[in-house]
Amino acid sequence: MITLEAASLHCSYEDKEVLSGLSFTVEEGEFVGIIGPNGAGKTTLFRAITRVLKPRQGKIYYRGIDIEEYRGLERDIAAMSQFMDEPFSFSVEDFVMMGRFPHVKRFGEPGQKDLDVVNEALEITDTLAVRSRKVNELSGGEKQRVYLAQALAQAPKLLLLDEPTAHLDIGHQIEVMDLIQKLNKERNITVLAVLHDLNIASEYCSKLALLDEGRIKISGTPSEVLTYQNIEQVYKTVVVVKDNPLSSKPFVIPVSKNYR
Amino acid sequence: MKKTGAAFFLLTILFLSVLVSIMFGGSRLGFEQVIYGLTHPYAQDSLSAIIWRIRLPRILLGMIIGMGLSSSGCVFQGMLRNPLADPYTLGVSGGAAFGVAIAIIFDFIKTSFLFVPLFAFAGALASMMIVYAVSARKGFSTHTLILTGVIIGFLFSSMVLLLYAVSNPAKVQHAIIWLMGDLSGADSGLIKWTAAYVAAGIIFMLAFTRELDILTMGDEKAAQLGVRVDFTKKALFTAASFVTAVCVASAGVIGFVGLIVPHFMRHVYGPNHKFLIVSSAISGAIFLILCDAAARTVMAPVELPVGVITGFIGGIIFLVYLVRSAKHEVF
Repeated sequence: MITLEAASLHCSYEDKEVLSGLSFTVEEGEFVGIIGPNGAGKTTLFRAITRVLKPRQGKIYYRGIDIEEYRGLERDIAAMSQFMDEPFSFSVEDFVMMGRFPHVKRFGEPGQKDLDVVNEALEITDTLAVRSRKVNELSGGEKQRVYLAQALAQAPKLLLLDEPTAHLDIGHQIEVMDLIQKLNKERNITVLAVLHDLNIASEYCSKLALLDEGRIKISGTPSEVLTYQNIEQVYKTVVVVKDNPLSSKPFVIPVSKNYR
Repeated sequence: MKKTGAAFFLLTILFLSVLVSIMFGGSRLGFEQVIYGLTHPYAQDSLSAIIWRIRLPRILLGMIIGMGLSSSGCVFQGMLRNPLADPYTLGVSGGAAFGVAIAIIFDFIKTSFLFVPLFAFAGALASMMIVYAVSARKGFSTHTLILTGVIIGFLFSSMVLLLYAVSNPAKVQHAIIWLMGDLSGADSGLIKWTAAYVAAGIIFMLAFTRELDILTMGDEKAAQLGVRVDFTKKALFTAASFVTAVCVASAGVIGFVGLIVPHFMRHVYGPNHKFLIVSSAISGAIFLILCDAAARTVMAPVELPVGVITGFIGGIIFLVYLVRSAKHEVF
């Protein structure tokens, strides 16, 4: 079943066209990575899907329905964007509870079910220990997991992530990506993630879409997408692609000028 | 619940502050006198008259105004993520004051005090819209908003002074005192209407506390969570401007209450807006009636406008705070 579909999407900021006729589909249960060089339109695509930016042309469908007309989309789709203001000194618990917003009525109080969902989200993201701490005092890795917990509290069927591992060291990157993979596998949450790091993308995603100048250059399995020809053409650099000895997924090695 | 305890604690302080405020004024009353006067509301003596006709109405009005200013300051600060945002820095009270000044100059004030809040609201909304429009052109950065607010507020205040300068001095004498923030106009009609408007505004704000919490994560995240960002912001700006307008119409421009009180409550009780608005409202009431008690006492028998006291105390506290918080911290 197709969860998300973009049909010939055109997006622009003022006169500058960033996405020019982009189309793709995400099937239910997939873990799709969007990769591409800076300025290729990754974040713009993300903003269009999360309805922050209105496409100039083209449509995005969630389960076959135009997202502009889909009521209660926020009960099905959770997003974790790069552009989130530093939350104030909310406690982790209160912060994660905000994810329940789409599920609680205006004058209603969060009930037992909401508390349970929040607890579960804290548990799966391994943040139970910091539940009473203030969000703005957490470390980068903890913060990222707490943001994920908030997205989980939304009980989404589709999780949209914009560079979930930005500014994290390799240990924390793996930790966060492992967690996302777990959610994808165990909770059957479909994941669409904008990723910067090609090797992380290769390792975790079941499907990759390589963006170049506002279009999808190629999409498919990591082995299909991450060939040295594709990467050299799109990123305008020289790389060597090998297979990871354990996972046999491709991994990309940069080549410095001295060896070219 | 911790919050229930905190609310009870604040209410107790409020009650004590009311008792203390009754004691202070042109003539000093003893504690026993206050209790006696309060328990004998229908006694035909001067004690009862002072307490029930002079001091209590003024205290009541002070409580309402303190609640209104603090809760709207709370909403402005939360929405703009800026500890410097409040009815004054956003130019809202300036606009409201201008509306009221027009009502005074053209004698609408005698027609009915129902009109005055309306004029104030019109002025407040006008200034809010100008501030909104100007800073929207600059992409709505918080600093632009505040800067624009201060400038617009200043422009409106200048226009108020201009109006006063060209009109009948007899009429203006009272208006100038009012402009400095003054609770001496308290009578039962004014109290009733102010209370009704302010209460309606606060209830409205309380209906949006979860959105306020979520908006602190930024518009983008709020939209992703299903908050109708534009609508919510406009509704809350309007509500906070309305409450400010009502307060300005009833008691003039009382500065710093809406800035200091929510700021400190946020430090003490954390950023959850539901309790923040409630605690700010109660503490705002406490703060303002104590300031007014001081205003009646320090230069007795001359009564100062309470705005002078709040400006003084608020300014000093805020300055100390600014100096001490070395890092650029928001909330």
